[in-house]
Formats: sequence, structure tokens, C-alpha cells
Amino acid sequence: MKWFPSFGFQRRKRDLQEEIDAHMQMAIADRVARGETAETARRAAAREFGNIPLVQDVTRDIWGQAWLEQLGRDVRYALRQLRKSPGFSITATSMLAVAICANSTVFSWIDGTMLRPIPGARNTGDLVSLQRGERNFSPTPPFSYLDYRDLREQNHTFTGILAYHNDWIALTGGAQPVRVYIANVSANYFDVLGIKPTLGRFFLPEEETRPNAVPSVVLGYSLWKTRYAEDPAIVGKSIKIARHPVTVIGVAPEGFVGAAPGLRDDLWVTLDPLGTDVWRMTHRDSDWLILIGRLRPGVSLGTAAQDLDTLMHHIVAAFPDDHLGENRITLDRMWRSPFGVNGYMTATLPILLAFAAVVLLLTSANVATLTLVRFVSRRRELAIRQSLGANRMQLVRQMMLEGAVLSIVAGAVALLLTSWTSKTFAWFFPANSIPLVLNGNMDYKVVIGIAVFSLLAGMLCGALPAWRSSHAPAAEVLKAESASVSGGSRNRRLLSGLVVAQIALSLPLLLCSGLLLRTLKNLAAADPGFEQDHVLTASVGLNIAGYSNEEAQLIRRKILDRVSGLPGVEVASLTDWIPMTLIQKRNDAYPEGYVPHPHESLLVQNAEVGPRYFESLHIPILEGREFTPDDDEKAPRVLIVDETAARRYWPGQDPLGKRLRIGGSLFTVVGVTRNSTHTFVNESPEPMVYMSYFQRPGYETMVQVKTEGNPVDLAPALENAIHEIDTRLPVFDVRPMRESTQMASTFAVIESTLAGMFALIGLVLAITGIYGVVAYRTQMRTHEIGIRMALGASRVDVLRLVLVQGLWLTGIGLAVGLAFALGLTRFIARLLYGIGANDPVTVASVVLLLGATSLLACYFPAHWAMRRNPVTAIREL
Amino acid sequence: MSEKDQYKNRIELLQGTLDMLILQTLQWGSQHGYGIVQALRLRSGDVLQVETGSLYPALHRLERQGWVQSEWNQSESNQKARYYRITAKGKKQLASDLGRWERIVEAIGSVMYVKAEESES
Repeated sequence: MKWFPSFGFQRRKRDLQEEIDAHMQMAIADRVARGETAETARRAAAREFGNIPLVQDVTRDIWGQAWLEQLGRDVRYALRQLRKSPGFSITATSMLAVAICANSTVFSWIDGTMLRPIPGARNTGDLVSLQRGERNFSPTPPFSYLDYRDLREQNHTFTGILAYHNDWIALTGGAQPVRVYIANVSANYFDVLGIKPTLGRFFLPEEETRPNAVPSVVLGYSLWKTRYAEDPAIVGKSIKIARHPVTVIGVAPEGFVGAAPGLRDDLWVTLDPLGTDVWRMTHRDSDWLILIGRLRPGVSLGTAAQDLDTLMHHIVAAFPDDHLGENRITLDRMWRSPFGVNGYMTATLPILLAFAAVVLLLTSANVATLTLVRFVSRRRELAIRQSLGANRMQLVRQMMLEGAVLSIVAGAVALLLTSWTSKTFAWFFPANSIPLVLNGNMDYKVVIGIAVFSLLAGMLCGALPAWRSSHAPAAEVLKAESASVSGGSRNRRLLSGLVVAQIALSLPLLLCSGLLLRTLKNLAAADPGFEQDHVLTASVGLNIAGYSNEEAQLIRRKILDRVSGLPGVEVASLTDWIPMTLIQKRNDAYPEGYVPHPHESLLVQNAEVGPRYFESLHIPILEGREFTPDDDEKAPRVLIVDETAARRYWPGQDPLGKRLRIGGSLFTVVGVTRNSTHTFVNESPEPMVYMSYFQRPGYETMVQVKTEGNPVDLAPALENAIHEIDTRLPVFDVRPMRESTQMASTFAVIESTLAGMFALIGLVLAITGIYGVVAYRTQMRTHEIGIRMALGASRVDVLRLVLVQGLWLTGIGLAVGLAFALGLTRFIARLLYGIGANDPVTVASVVLLLGATSLLACYFPAHWAMRRNPVTAIREL
Repeated sequence: MSEKDQYKNRIELLQGTLDMLILQTLQWGSQHGYGIVQALRLRSGDVLQVETGSLYPALHRLERQGWVQSEWNQSESNQKARYYRITAKGKKQLASDLGRWERIVEAIGSVMYVKAEESES
């Protein structure tokens, strides 16, 4: 087996051998010449020369390549040792591989989301996300176009600030309209991000505000590839979106999918391509843009925030009526940008990585235990090597190398596993209407991560036992070998420490997973305040199909009529928003006569809903009435508020008849509904206002149906009914409410699933750890136990002897682990729902579970010891 | 343990002096490893016994540094052996080693001398 066939190395080795042979021959010849017999001469010469292999060894050291050869030899030796105990090698490697894989998987998810906020963009570290006003978990676009222009042109701290607005639209012109996700973008969008077109060009500065007769679009790479078959002559061609002809001016490079982290854009248009959105281009109270700036080199986040804050202050002073409420500007690096999905990721993934790190620590402790036990049984081998001239450093190196070989193999296995598990992140997300592009990413960072994890693991599980074992003096070990009764007393404390550490580490894992699992259960059992079980929703692409407003309203009424008449439909209504889908709509609302507190945000959540909406969802109207089909454009503007809004704006008064100004018009409150969940079951309630769909058409048209039976059964009939009105109407996202609202618990599912898996690994490791150590130690004491029994100890005494030992370890481990766990749970308190971070029931059951299983693990070796025949036990050495 | 007693009367070679001794031995012509051991023992009156475990590494180190060169040759007794020959660079090194050695001997000697005087008085 030639591992390191180095240049001429073998030849030089032979050379040295011959040189030494010659030396011996001459020495023998001299002695023979002096009259000694050939045999004595040979022996004397050999004695005089000394240890030939050692001489060769130290001489080869001089050659410089020696370390390579030595490493090769040590690696070969390590492999041979590992092959000799395949049980240990396979167990240790697979445990390490799983632990490393747990870490690298979570890390790959972090890498794919937080660390790659905008794939394809240049230096995302310089990019910052701008937020105005209240910082909440998932804010709505915070800036108006004119404010954006002022900030962009007057700041001193950014090389550029871009603006975008996410939307979706139908790509028409084919047989069936296709939904595509688009972004309205400022002209400098691609420039600020540092993206170069694959084909054609991007937008010119003068195109930003000038509505073109034929608007320009930039295609995303994948759309160009899938729908236009990578047509190299696509630039200049005309395609149709929402039945408008548009010209393709360029194609974005592969991999770039837009500036919102975790969300995909299929194509890009300018801010007002058709000239139909004049209002939002010219009014400062119309907030619809999300801003990202690129910091000038050397400018800190604080300086930039101050710069923009000052500018914003001037803008607010000049246009106070358009900027009521909170206006302070805050900046975030892209990895934790509140826009897109990174806000959710930063709340979830780092905690999971911490869990995974505990698993790795635990596994290393476990493998260290195994290694130590193995080394103790290899004391003889080590002692022999030591007395043959190996120094302590060499032995330590040898043992660390065995740890390293294990962890390198484990790392390689983990690398393979991770290339698959990194892609499983997307599985957690139920079907939804958000263009999520969430997934793990395997790039060099993950590979480096795996290398670091395995190195860490290797050091932890190799060095500790190595250092410990190498302390044993050779002669003593060799002598003591046969007489040893308690077995490596030196290592006993270390072994105990490792077992205690394993139990102590697995307890917090178990506790956290227990708390998260109960949170999940509580979330599922929580009443969101609306009916989820017999409701079906479907999106109709009306707004994107090119109808005029009047035509669209007519079609909506037709759809309602027809769907209401379907057999199995109890109630049909319209809405432009589905609760608990992570989608939120917010608007500034100014209640008449209400004086906001300083810095109070006046944002309210809002939805446009049709008649009988509340009936279809079983949301009770507490006061006043529901919307009727007569609440249309001609009727006085009305709205319905929820309890939170009523209590906030008109405490102690009758909200009916009160008025609110939203988007320039005054609305009168005609009803108050019970609160219901908007986004998350555990959210703090935000004021909500509902407006009449036929008075103020929503952007989305979603048909919402209360069914008698299983809503899925009704889906084909519903789609048919809509297509009977217009076959070209695109219908998307037909799914039961229960499925849509799963989105709200996605992160709880991710957290509890992974925590549960990690905890299970932890439990298994802790149990096998304590079992292994107690069993090993009992085996080492077989002789002693035999003597005890021969002297009259009963079987119960023996059982107690072994169990007490295990009990001590378990007890200490549990105590340490409990202190550790109770200190740690507050870090996940934020993720919990309906349960305290130190919930006594969960704590008690977890402690009990761990305690009982480890006791069980101790029982088996105890039982085995008890059953031994004392005579054979004494004989066994 | 008996091995240790055997070496009791031998002087441990000072660090670095072995190189100098080898180079000095090679001054009189090229020699093989065994020859060097014999020569050193003979000239030191059996006091200096060079361990092979020190000699061969030293020879290979000297060759690496370019102070000696080696080639395979037939010995007087028709034994094929590797002969080491001192190079010009090695001669320079020997001179500087010798200078340093003399300084050390002088320095140690003066320390010992003063000490002896003091203890006498």
C-alpha cells in the first residue's frame, strides 16, 4: 500500500539500508579479524550498532520529507487500528456524521437565506435596507416616490438608493395567461445592486418617470429560459403582459431573482410603465416603495441613518399632513432586512444552529467516551510502543490522528448528506401564493463550515483521551495490566465527567424541544377567531387580465352570483386578503378627532371584503352591520373595524358613526367585529379595518366560499363556474383555508421538528453514553464483583453497587443540565405560545424521561453483573 | 540498566561538537560511517563513542547543508560502502566551528580556573 509515493524516497530508503548494512559488515569483519567467531562478532556488532530501525528513523527525519512519510505511516496505522474495531469506527463515524450534518444543514439554510440576501448582487455587505416609522416584524412598503426621490438625491452617505415594489401580473399572449411575479423598479435598480445584463440593457434614468407608449421590460433569466427558450434575439421583441404590448430590452443574469430576500421576481418594469399609477407617483402620502441603499465606502450604519433621518425630518416638516405618525428612519444590513423573508429567518435559524451545536458537542463527548474506553483497553499497545522508544508527542499525535481520520470521514459523509438535506428546507413551506425561493445553499462557506465542524469534533473526541492516556507511565501500565481490577482509575473521573456532560447537554435539548412541541400543539389548537375548516378560496386574475374597472366589477358580481348557486356552497363572498398567510396590507388611517400619542404609528391593517364575508368566516359582528351589495361606488363610504381599532380610537364610546380618513377619503364606521387572527396566533393585535369590496375594489380578487362538505371536493366546480364567465380568466391558488393558514405555523413547525430531531439524537447519545460507561466499568470490575459475591454479597448488593454508580452520574448530570436548561430557555421564550419558558410540567416530564431512561440503561449492565457466576467472575481477568 | 553503566565513563558529546568532529575526521580523506566511528574512538583513546543514532543523522544533515558529499565506493576490504568527502564549504564551516570551540573551551576554562582559585583561598 503506497500512500505517499514521494520522489526517490524509496530509493533513498534503500540507500540508507545498504549504508547501514555496509557498516555492520565492516564491524563484523573487524571483529572476526581480531579473532572473534562469526556468530559472536555478528551479535556484538549488532549490539554496538543499536536499534537499526530507530537509526533509520531519526536519519530519515533529517531528509525533510520525513514528516510526510511519518504522516503516511501514522495514517496507515490509524486506519489499521480503526479497521481492527469496525464496530467502534462505524458507530463513531456515523454519529459524528449525523451531528456534523445537523450543523451544516442548518448552516446551509442560513447561508442560502441570510448570508445570500440578494444572489448575484455585488458586495451585499454594503447594502442596507431602509425602514421608516414603526419597526414591526413584517412591515409594508414604507416610502412614497417623491420622498424616495428626495432621499436619493440629497443624501451624502450612499452611492445609490434603489426603490422597488413587488407585484404580480399575467403574462398573456399564450394559450393560457400565466402568473408572473414582477417588480416595479427605479431606473438605478440594477446599477445599485451591481448587476450586468446577460442580453440587451437595463433601464435608463429618463425612463424612470416617463410612461412609454410601449413600456420596456427586463426578463428574468429563468423566465427567458422556460418561456422563450433562451431566444438570443429576444431583445427588441414585443411580448404581452396583461394584454399590453411591451418591449423586451434586456435579460437579467442567471441566478438573480430580485432585491427582496427570499422572494422571486420573474420580470422587471419601471415604476409607472403604463402611466396608470399617476396618483402614487405624485403623492407623498402613498407609501408603496421599498428602498435599499449602497453605503459609500467607510460610512457606518449609524452615520448613514443620521443622514437620512435629518433629510426625512426636513421632508416631514415641509409636508406634515402626508407624514402623520412615526417617521424615524432605521437601517438594517440585508441579512436581517425586515422586507422579504430574512426577518423570519433571523428569528428561527440561529437558534436552530445553537441546538445543532449542542448536538455536536454531545456527540463529541460521546465519541470521546468511546475512544477513551478503547484507549484504556489499548493501554498495553501504547505502553509497548512507548517502551520501544515512541515519545509522548508521537503517541498523542497518533491518537489525535485517529480522531482526525474519524472526523474527516464523518465530514465527508456529512458533506454528501448535506448536499441533499440542504434542499429539504423548502419542504417546510406549504403551498402558498408567495414566490418563495427559500432553500439551503451548498457553497464554499458550507464546505468550510463542515471542515471546521469536523475539525472541532475530531479535536474534541481525539485530543482529550489522547492527552489523558499518554500520561500513564509505560512500565507501570505493563506491570499493572494483569493485576488491574478497577480499570484505568486515572480515566475514571474523565469518563464520569463525559457522561455527566452528555446528560447535562441533552437535558436542555429535550426541554427546548418539549416546549416547542407543546407550542406547536397550542398553536394548532388555538382558535384564530374565524372558520378554517369548511372554507375554500380561489384567486382570480381579474386585475391583471386587462379589464376596465367597471367590467371587472361586473364580472365579480357575476362570479358571486354563479358561485353562490353551486350545490354545496353555503355562502360565497369576495376578499382581497386571506388571513394567516404571512401577507399583510397596511394603510395609514387618520381617525377624526383622535390625537395620536407621540411616535404612535397610525398604520392599520386593512382588507377589502365583499358582502357576507364575515358570515362566511363565522366572525361575529358585535355592533352594527355587515357590508351589503349596495355598499358600492355610489353609496357613502363605509367601513367595519375590529375591537382593537374601536378600543384604540374611541375608548368608551360608541364607534358606530365615527369617521376615519384613509387614502384621502372619509369612511364612516358601520360595524364592529370580534378580533380575529391576522398573521400569527401569538401576534399582538393590530387595529384592523375592513372596506367594502364593491366600493373600493381590492387589488386581488379572491372568491371565498363556505362549503357544506369537504372544501377540496368543490374546487373543480368553483373553477368551472369562473371559467364559464370568461374562459381566459386565470384562476390560481384554489385551496382550502386550513391549508392556506398553515403558513402561519411554518416556523413553529420548522423549530419544533428540528428541535425534536436534535433532542432525540441527544437522548439516544446520552443513553448510549451512560450505558456504555456503566457497562464497561462493570466489566472491568467483574473480578472484584466475583470476590464480593464469594465473600457473601447478595445479588441485590451487586445490583445496588452498579446501579448506585449509574444513579450518581445521572443525578449529577440532571442537576447540571437542569441549571443549564433553565438558564437557556429564556432564549426561546419568544418562540413559545401558550406555555411558560420554565413550564413545570414540561421540565418535570423531561427530567423524568431522561432520568428513567438512563436508569434503565444502567440496569442492564447491573443485571448482567448480578447474574454472573462468582467463580467464573473471579477467574476472569 | 546494565547498558547505562557501560556508558558511564564515556563523555556525552556537547551539542554541536559532533559535526565538528566528523568534519575534522574527514580532513584526512574521505571516509565511510564505520570508519568515522573507528577513527573518533581511536583518536580519543576510546573515550568518544559516537552513537550510530547520532552519526547517521549528522552525516545526512551535513550532506544536506552541502558541507560533505557522498559517493559509493569499494573499501580496502572490497566492501561496497558510502564514502563521505568534505567540501570547500565544509572546510570553511570547520574553521568557524573550531574557532567557536576554542572560545568555548577558553571561556569555560577561565571560569573553572577562577572558581578553583577562589575556593583555594
